[in-house]
Amino acid sequence: MEAQAARWTPTRRRWRHALESRRVLAPLLIAPAVVFMVLVVGVPLVWAIYLSFTDAVGGSLSGHWVGFDNFTNAWHDDNFRRALRNTLIFTLASQAIVVVGAAILSNFLVRDFRGKWIIRFLVVLPWAAPVVLSTIIWLWLLDSLYSVVNWTLAELHLDHALVWLLGAVHLEEGAQVPLQWLGRPNLALIAITVVHAWRILPFAVVIFIAGRSSIPTEVEDASRIDGATGFKKLWYVDLPLQLPIALVAVLFGIVFTAVDFAVVYILTHGGPFNSTQVLPTWAYAVGIDSGSLGEGAAISLFLFPLLVLVTVGMLFFARRAQVS
Amino acid sequence: MTRRQTIVTYLVVVPFAIFLAFPFFFALITMFKTNLDLANVEHVPYTYNDLAGNLHWDFWNYATFEHVRFLFEETNYPTWLLNTVIVGGAVVVITLLLAMPAGYALARLAGGWGQGAGVGIFLVYLVPPTLLFLPLSRLVSQLGLKDSLWALILVYPSFTVPFATWLLMGFFKTIPQELEEAALMDGASRLKALRLIVLPVSLPGILTVVIFAFSLCVNEFIYAFTFISSSEQRTISAGIPNDLIRGDVFFWQSLMAATLIPAIPLALLYNAFLDRFIKGFTGGAFR
Amino acid sequence: MADAADEVARAGSALTRSDLLRKGTTAAFAVSMFGGLTDRALGVYGPLKFAKKELSGELRIMTWAHFVPDYDKWLDGTYAKQWGEANDVEVKIDHINNALLYSTGAAEVAAQSGHDLFWFISPPATFQKQAIPVTDLVQEVSKKVGRMTRVARKSTYNPATKQFYGFPESYAPDPVQYRRSQLQQAGVSLRTWDDLRQGAAKLKAIGHPVGLGMSNEIDSNMLLTSLLYCYGGYIQNEDNRIVIGQGANRKGAIQALQVMKEIYSSGMSDEVFAWTAASNNQAFLAGRLSVALNAISIVRSAEDSGNQALSDDTWLASIPRGPVQRLGNEHVMGVYLIWKFAKNKEAAQKYVVDQMLAYEDHFVRSKFYNFPPWTNSIKGGFKTIREVATKDPHKPKGKYSILTTIAEKYTTNPGHPGNTTPVMDEIYNTFLIPQMFAEVAQGKSSPADAVGRFASKAQSIYRKWHNQKLV
Repeated sequence: MEAQAARWTPTRRRWRHALESRRVLAPLLIAPAVVFMVLVVGVPLVWAIYLSFTDAVGGSLSGHWVGFDNFTNAWHDDNFRRALRNTLIFTLASQAIVVVGAAILSNFLVRDFRGKWIIRFLVVLPWAAPVVLSTIIWLWLLDSLYSVVNWTLAELHLDHALVWLLGAVHLEEGAQVPLQWLGRPNLALIAITVVHAWRILPFAVVIFIAGRSSIPTEVEDASRIDGATGFKKLWYVDLPLQLPIALVAVLFGIVFTAVDFAVVYILTHGGPFNSTQVLPTWAYAVGIDSGSLGEGAAISLFLFPLLVLVTVGMLFFARRAQVS
Repeated sequence: MTRRQTIVTYLVVVPFAIFLAFPFFFALITMFKTNLDLANVEHVPYTYNDLAGNLHWDFWNYATFEHVRFLFEETNYPTWLLNTVIVGGAVVVITLLLAMPAGYALARLAGGWGQGAGVGIFLVYLVPPTLLFLPLSRLVSQLGLKDSLWALILVYPSFTVPFATWLLMGFFKTIPQELEEAALMDGASRLKALRLIVLPVSLPGILTVVIFAFSLCVNEFIYAFTFISSSEQRTISAGIPNDLIRGDVFFWQSLMAATLIPAIPLALLYNAFLDRFIKGFTGGAFR
Repeated sequence: MADAADEVARAGSALTRSDLLRKGTTAAFAVSMFGGLTDRALGVYGPLKFAKKELSGELRIMTWAHFVPDYDKWLDGTYAKQWGEANDVEVKIDHINNALLYSTGAAEVAAQSGHDLFWFISPPATFQKQAIPVTDLVQEVSKKVGRMTRVARKSTYNPATKQFYGFPESYAPDPVQYRRSQLQQAGVSLRTWDDLRQGAAKLKAIGHPVGLGMSNEIDSNMLLTSLLYCYGGYIQNEDNRIVIGQGANRKGAIQALQVMKEIYSSGMSDEVFAWTAASNNQAFLAGRLSVALNAISIVRSAEDSGNQALSDDTWLASIPRGPVQRLGNEHVMGVYLIWKFAKNKEAAQKYVVDQMLAYEDHFVRSKFYNFPPWTNSIKGGFKTIREVATKDPHKPKGKYSILTTIAEKYTTNPGHPGNTTPVMDEIYNTFLIPQMFAEVAQGKSSPADAVGRFASKAQSIYRKWHNQKLV
C-alpha cells in the first residue's frame, strides 16, 4: 500500500478523484454517444422541422417561410387523411396480432420438445431477412397473376368460399377469383397488415420469451400449487408478470411499423388508388417524387407528436408495472 | 411434459412456424425454376414442371441453377454481401464503443435522470429516414464520404446506439452492485472495476446488442440507396432491388436466391445464440 | 490543323500540346462518328494516342438501368469510352432503377454534390432551379440538325422563365401491343375506343381480357392520360392552367371515365388495380392479356422469351381514336439536367450535344426504344427511322413501321396542350389520375364527382407551384 501511495503524485491524485466522482464520470461516459446523436440525428431533425415550415422544392435545403401552411394544406387533402388513418390502422392491427401471437407462441416455445431447434430457426427467419427483400418475396406471393396463395386456395377449393365469406362480412363485395390481394382496397389493407405482423412477430416472440425467463420459479411453483394451470395461468399470472417487457416489445413494434416505408411502397405503392398510402409513403410521393419538399417534411412530422405521447405513456406504464 | 401437453404444443408451434417460414420455403423452390416454368400460369408452383406442364418424380432434372449463377457471376452480389458484412461489423463496433459507457453511466451513475434519458432515447426512432436522408446527404457529402461505405458506417450508429444504450442500461442495472462495490473497496478505480468485473459478466448483453445492431444495419435501405450510387459500393438491401429489377422486368428467381442466401446463415446464427441472447435481455435471471 | 491553329492565334495564350491534340482528335472522332460534318475534317491524326494516357477530366453521369440491358452495356463499354477518349475525359456512368432517380437526385441537390449529368425518366420540372439552363445547347443542336420535336420542346421549355431547363435525350412512344390471333378470333377492332369498348367483353369471354392498368405506376399514368386526350379531357390548356373541371374538358373527361369503367366491367379483371410496372408485361407474356398499352418492352421481351408463337402473334398498333382525336403520351421522356454544382460542366455540355448530333446507334441499340428528340439527329429523319424500323427481322415483317407513325403523329407530352410542368409532375407522382379512374371503375364515385375532386386537387397543386414562380 505504501509503495502504491508513493506512486501517486498530487496531480494524478486529483485526476483520480475527479474521475471517481459521479458528476464527472457520468457525463464523460455518456458524452460520446450524446455528441454523436446530436450531430447525426439532432441537427438533421431540426433542419427537417425547419423545412416543414418552408416551401422548399426539389432537394434544396432552404425555402421561404410559410408558417403552418404545409400542415393545414395536408390536413385538407383527403389522400393525406387517408394516409394518416391507414398508418394508425396498420400499426394497431398488426401489433395486436403480434402481441397475441407472441404471447401464445412464447408460452409454448419455452417448453422442451423434439425439433425445438428447427422450429425456432423457422420462427426467426423473417427477422433475419432484410425487410426490402422479404417484402419482394411477398410481392410475388401475392402477385396479381401468379400468387401461390391464390393457387393453393384454388387447389383446396377454398377460393370461392373465401370470396363468399368476404362478401358475407361486408369486407369485399363482388370480389372475383383469383383474389387481388393488392388490388382491392380492403384486401390490400389485410395483406399489408399481415406482412407487418409477419415481420415483427419473431422479434416480439424473443422478447416475450425473455420476459418469461425472468419470472421467478417460485411463482411457477406457487401457481401450480394453487391449481392455476393452462389459460387461467396465462391470463392471471404470466401476462401480468410479462407486462413490462411485453410493453417494450409492443412499443418497438409500434414504432417500427408506424414509420415503415418499405412494406407499403413495395407491395402496393400506396395503391389501389391511393387507398393504402401511409404517412411515410405519402410524404415520399409528395416531398421527393413530386419535389414539394416542405410539404413532404410536414407530412413526415405529423406523426411525431403522437408517437412521442405513445412512447412516453408506454414507458411510464412499463416502469410502473415493473416496480409492482 | 404430458403427452397431451406435447400434442398441444405441436398443434400451436407448427402452424406458426409454417406461417413464418413459408415465404422462404417458397423462395427456395422458386429460385431454381426455369423462366418458362415460372411464367406459365398453369404450372404447379411448388415443383418443377416440364415444358408441357407435366410433373416428374425426378423433379430436379427440370430445375436450373442458371439464376443463381447469374446472381453470382453477372451482378455484384458477392461484393454486396461483403459490403454488408463490413458495414455491419464496423457499425457494431462503433455502437458498442458508444453505447457501453453510456449505458453503464445511465444505469449506475446517472440516478434520477437516467429514466428520462431512456425515454429520450426512444424518440430518435420516431423520425422517418425518408425525411432525414436529405440533410444527412449534405453532411455525408461535406465530409467527402459520398459513394463510400464510410457514409453508412458514420450514419448507421445513429439508430443502433439509442437502442443499444437502452438495452445495456437495463442490463447493467441487473448486475448486482456488490460486485463492483467489492472491487472498489479493494482499491480499484471505477474504470478498472468496469473493465475487469462488469465487462465479462455482461457478455450476454453485449451479444444481444451485436445481434440487434447487426440486424438493424442489414435491414436499412434508404440511406444505403441514396448515399451510394455506384453498384460496387452498395450493400445488399440497395444493390439487389436496384440491379435485379430493371425497368419493368423483375428477375424473380434471382431475387429469391438473393434473399435466401443471407437469411439462412443469419437465422442460424440468431437461433444458435438465442439462449444467451435472452439472458442478455433479462440480465442473467433465467430458467 | 487550320481551326486549331486559328484558335491558338486568337487566344494568344500558350496552349499546351495536349490541348491541340485534344482538339485534333475531337475532330478525328467527329469525322469518324458523324460522317458528313466536313467543316471539321482534318487530315492529321493517326490511331488514337489515348489508349494508355491518363485522361485529364472526369464526367460523371447518372442514368437509369435501361430495360434493354444490351443498350447499357454498349453505352458504358463502347460509346462512352470512345467519346471519353476522344475528348480526354473519363466517363463514368452509374445506372439505377428508374424509381429511385428522384430520390437520388434530391439527395444530390441536398448535398450540393454528386454527378455532373443527371438523367430523368420524365421531365424533371421540380429540379429546374438546381440546374443550369441549356438554351444555348439546344440552339446549337437545332442549328445543326433542325428543329426539335414538339414533344421535346413542350417537355423541357419553361415559358415562365423562357429557358430550356433540361436537355431532352430520348423519348419512347407508347404503342398498343395486342395478340392478333385473339383479336381476330373475337372479332374485335382497335380502330377507335368505342370499338375496344364494345369488343372488350368478347375478349374476356375467350379468356383473354384487356390489360389497361389503373394502378399506382407509370404505365397506368401514361395510358389514362392518353385516353383523356382522345376524348378531349385536357388537364391543362396552352397556358398551363388547370382546365379539366370546366366545359368541354370536363365533358370529355367524364366520357373517358365512363368508357374506362365499361371496359373494366366487361373486359378486364381486378388485377389491373394491383399492377406494378412489370405486371402488364408479365400478364401479356404469360399469354393471358390480349391488349396492352406499353412501351415496346413487352413485344421485345416476347421476342427474347423463346416463345416464338407468342412473339409472332404480338402486333403493334397506334392508340385507338377517340371522338376528338387519336393522341397518346410518350411513355418515357429522357431529359438530362446539368447540375449547378456539376464539377465538369463543359464536358457535360459537350457530351449531350455530341450525342444528339448522331443518334442512329442509340436508336438501334436500344431496339427502337429511344427515339431522338431532334428527328434529324438520325440522318434522313423519320424516313430513315421508318426504313430502319421496318427492316427489323422479327415477324411479322414491318411490324415496327407503325411505331414510327406513332412517334411522328400521335405522340405528345404530358400536360398537352401545355408544357410538362411541376404541376403535372406532382399529379403523376401522387397517382391522382389512376385514382380518379379506379374510383369510378370500382363504383366508388360517379364520373362527375371524380372529375370535380380531381380538378380541385389539381388546382391547389397549381396554386402552390405558381407561388413558387415555376409555372
